[in-house]
Amino acid sequence: MKTVIITGATSGIGLAAAREFAGKGYRVVGVGHSEKNCEKAKNNILSAYPEAEIVFFSGELMQQREVLRVAEELVKYINENCGGELFALVNNVGGVRSLYTTTEEGYEQQFALNHLAAFLLTSKLLPFIERAHGRIIMTGSNSHKGIKVHWDDPMLKKGYNPLTAYKQAKLCNILFAKGLCDRGLCAYTVDPGLVNTDIGNKQTGSLVNLIWTLRKKHGVPPEIPAETYVFLCEQETEPDGLYYYLCRKRKFSGEVTSENADRLFELSEKLCGIEYAGREAAV
Amino acid sequence: MNVFITGASGGLGRAIAAECASRGYRLFLTDINDDGLACLRQGLERQYGACVLTHVCDITKNESVEEMLAVIDGSGIRFDMLFNIAGIDYEGGFMERERENVVKIVSLNVGATLRVTHAILSRRWEHKPFSLVFVSSLASLYPMPLKATYAASKRFLTDFAEALRQELKSQNVRVLTLCPGGLPTTEEAINGIAAQGFWGSVTTNRLEQVAFETVEKVQKGQGLYIPGAVNRTLSVLGKLVPRSVIAALIYKRWSGAQKKWLCPEEN
Repeated sequence: MKTVIITGATSGIGLAAAREFAGKGYRVVGVGHSEKNCEKAKNNILSAYPEAEIVFFSGELMQQREVLRVAEELVKYINENCGGELFALVNNVGGVRSLYTTTEEGYEQQFALNHLAAFLLTSKLLPFIERAHGRIIMTGSNSHKGIKVHWDDPMLKKGYNPLTAYKQAKLCNILFAKGLCDRGLCAYTVDPGLVNTDIGNKQTGSLVNLIWTLRKKHGVPPEIPAETYVFLCEQETEPDGLYYYLCRKRKFSGEVTSENADRLFELSEKLCGIEYAGREAAV
Repeated sequence: MNVFITGASGGLGRAIAAECASRGYRLFLTDINDDGLACLRQGLERQYGACVLTHVCDITKNESVEEMLAVIDGSGIRFDMLFNIAGIDYEGGFMERERENVVKIVSLNVGATLRVTHAILSRRWEHKPFSLVFVSSLASLYPMPLKATYAASKRFLTDFAEALRQELKSQNVRVLTLCPGGLPTTEEAINGIAAQGFWGSVTTNRLEQVAFETVEKVQKGQGLYIPGAVNRTLSVLGKLVPRSVIAALIYKRWSGAQKKWLCPEEN
């Protein structure tokens, strides 16, 4: 039985993907923000697939010490129940903050939750993914286009804007996938399209909340993008694209280069206090 | 530039610490939150390569402060700046609060602030300018029903800072009073601001900008910083309207907002 870990799996795209994977016979390990929501999500999946093997861990992934704690629990679980093999890691957790707010480390929350959490968690689970010749999938967005990473001020301290922070974080997601590919791993970014979820209604202010409430009505249900995650894992030979929309390759931003990916790795390694194996080592 | 910050692991404390770190200042951070301090120190070192010392300290307790001062004196540290950020409030009217909690507001916001200010001013460089910041509040400008103790404690700081500013002017000490409206520091604060509706959002200031301006203004010798045009207008109006009328108006607004905030399910 193949194991998949999905972060942000208690609602929206993450929950839909978890259900889809459970239906295909994967062992699903979800990570959610609160125990209460984890319990609800677990019951939701079990009501659709009573035979599903499913377990949830909870943690506040924007805080790095929480990522490290959850990673430790996941490692223990994979070793004890999955023969030390992880077939897929879906870095899906994400959110929007309408105002500049920081984590305990003083990192801007969108940057910490939408990018650094995935960067740190992936590094801790990498040995198990490599053992299973597994795949790493990010939830990206087409909004990663039309922006560059603000290298001189990545936390946008000098001029915060929720949309800029979101776009930049989504560019970081695909750059992270690109960097992993450069290091010999199988990594993808899924563009879910406009989806009817509550992402813009959680911990945001009145304006972002209102705009998103109007906008999400035009979105597709989360089951539609969920299919793309399963598609990427179900292919016998690893798909060779980087960016997928509705199970097809899609064109991505010209900013997604190995040079920028290396730069992002260097910055993120410093901010997380970790080190990935270098690109040269993989070639 | 050696900077001392109290309440450093809270929202505003972190923002000020980050602002100072980004300028290459050296930081001495205190808070009662041990884990928060450790995380922040690590974050500032990683993000800015900052030089950070931390010390867990309950500044409402003299022994705790004495112990910290012994560490400071042991390494002969002298300071150029002090940010008095540690402060507290609890929700609800005077009689709805725990007795000791009401006293705590004054012992932290006023008593502990005076203790730290005296201690750090005594440890400034002899012939260099010193910058001193008190975090007061927009609430200090009016009597505030339902926040009576908090507003009065902040009023103390605003008046004290203004007086101290004159007293120490000739000794090259610059004193700034920061009077912010709402600041989006925690999830709770953001929800509280949202519960106040229109007035909540127009009196709220951008945290990162307030931090930047505060560090700028104190070094330029400014005495009072009220962030935001709406807040500045409110502060002027506050001087023109009789205080009893203001108190009545504020009670009307806050009682509605607090009901909405404390019992969100009913709305």
